[in-house]
Amino acid sequence: MHALNTYSFFTRRIVWLVAIILTVLLSACDDDEVCEEITANNLRIGFYPAEQEDEEFWATIDSLMVHSLEKPDDPVHDTLYTVSSLELPLNIHASSAAFVIDFFHARDTLWLQYNKETHLISVECGFTVFFDIQEVEHTTHYVEGISLETSEVTSTLDEHIQIFVPDTIPGN
Amino acid sequence: MNIFKYLFLIPFLAISQLAMTEEGHDTLFVPSVRLGVDVSGFARHLIEPESITGEITLDVEWRKSHFFVVEGGLMEVDVEKETHVYQADGYFMRIGPDFNILERNPDSPNDVLLVSLRYGYGKLEHEAPFIMLPSPYWGGRETAIPPETYQAHWLEAGIGLKTEIWRNLFLGWSLRGRLMLSDTSSPAMDPYLISGFGKSDNNTSLSLQYQIMYRLPLQ
Repeated sequence: MHALNTYSFFTRRIVWLVAIILTVLLSACDDDEVCEEITANNLRIGFYPAEQEDEEFWATIDSLMVHSLEKPDDPVHDTLYTVSSLELPLNIHASSAAFVIDFFHARDTLWLQYNKETHLISVECGFTVFFDIQEVEHTTHYVEGISLETSEVTSTLDEHIQIFVPDTIPGN
Repeated sequence: MNIFKYLFLIPFLAISQLAMTEEGHDTLFVPSVRLGVDVSGFARHLIEPESITGEITLDVEWRKSHFFVVEGGLMEVDVEKETHVYQADGYFMRIGPDFNILERNPDSPNDVLLVSLRYGYGKLEHEAPFIMLPSPYWGGRETAIPPETYQAHWLEAGIGLKTEIWRNLFLGWSLRGRLMLSDTSSPAMDPYLISGFGKSDNNTSLSLQYQIMYRLPLQ
């Protein structure tokens, strides 16, 4: 028993037309070779009020600046205002990095240890580094706590670390 | 593993079963062998000059509308950019049945509309002898990934057409869906292209292939 028992001249043309249309569609789907911009896979941090239980709302830091311990004279972020989130570049030359977050009324240091993996994005875009955070430590001058939400720092837009700060600035 | 990934196989298996239950034999049936070349790899090379795939196909119609098919080929990727060099060489093989689901038309008795099932195996060696990793803050780092061997096993199902355009000379196309069964994932680098499977972004792939074939009647 055959599933199809008519194969006219017309049908043959239709079947080949379908093949041509599929070729165009598949070529369009596969047209991802234009590399727009190579971006480093940064560590994403969000600030949250320490008293808040459901972590639904960010805390807003009036101003801060960030530099690494390795390059104290080269700030990662010069003075930023009304900050709720941060992106920090992890060191691709080492398996650890340390950042000093200067809240201007207090400073805290964040140490990170991680594994690195070189990852091929595409032949057009080349390679990037994915990180897997192994350990996070911090001082507690202003920062009250830290939560590692996602250890894998890849090309996704996940928030990796939550930093909990008091609702009010000490002394105010 | 998500079971829904397997659902696309069901209609093909059902149609194949229909073809297998066909009763009666055509006494005029002549077994044949068909040799072919897949030209889609060469056509793709015009769009993506960094990769080229060559593939030959062999099918045997051992019983009316029942084919045993072997496909095999070679793949090469050679990319040289300012920021990286990537090279890969591989080969692949696929075997499986084709079933014709079209009643033969007296005007074109050798034309077939085929449902295909395949098991596929691919092996490649790839390396990145030069990589410059960007980091605006920390400074770029030069590194390399030495040659690594990668293997993959997959299943594929598809549908295709073969039309006789001149005496025993055929043109054909085939749409294939592929499902990865297992592979040797590398901790350092996933291949850009898996020989015989395609892009390695996820466990499935879809491709359209074009073949030119010559049929040799065996009697």
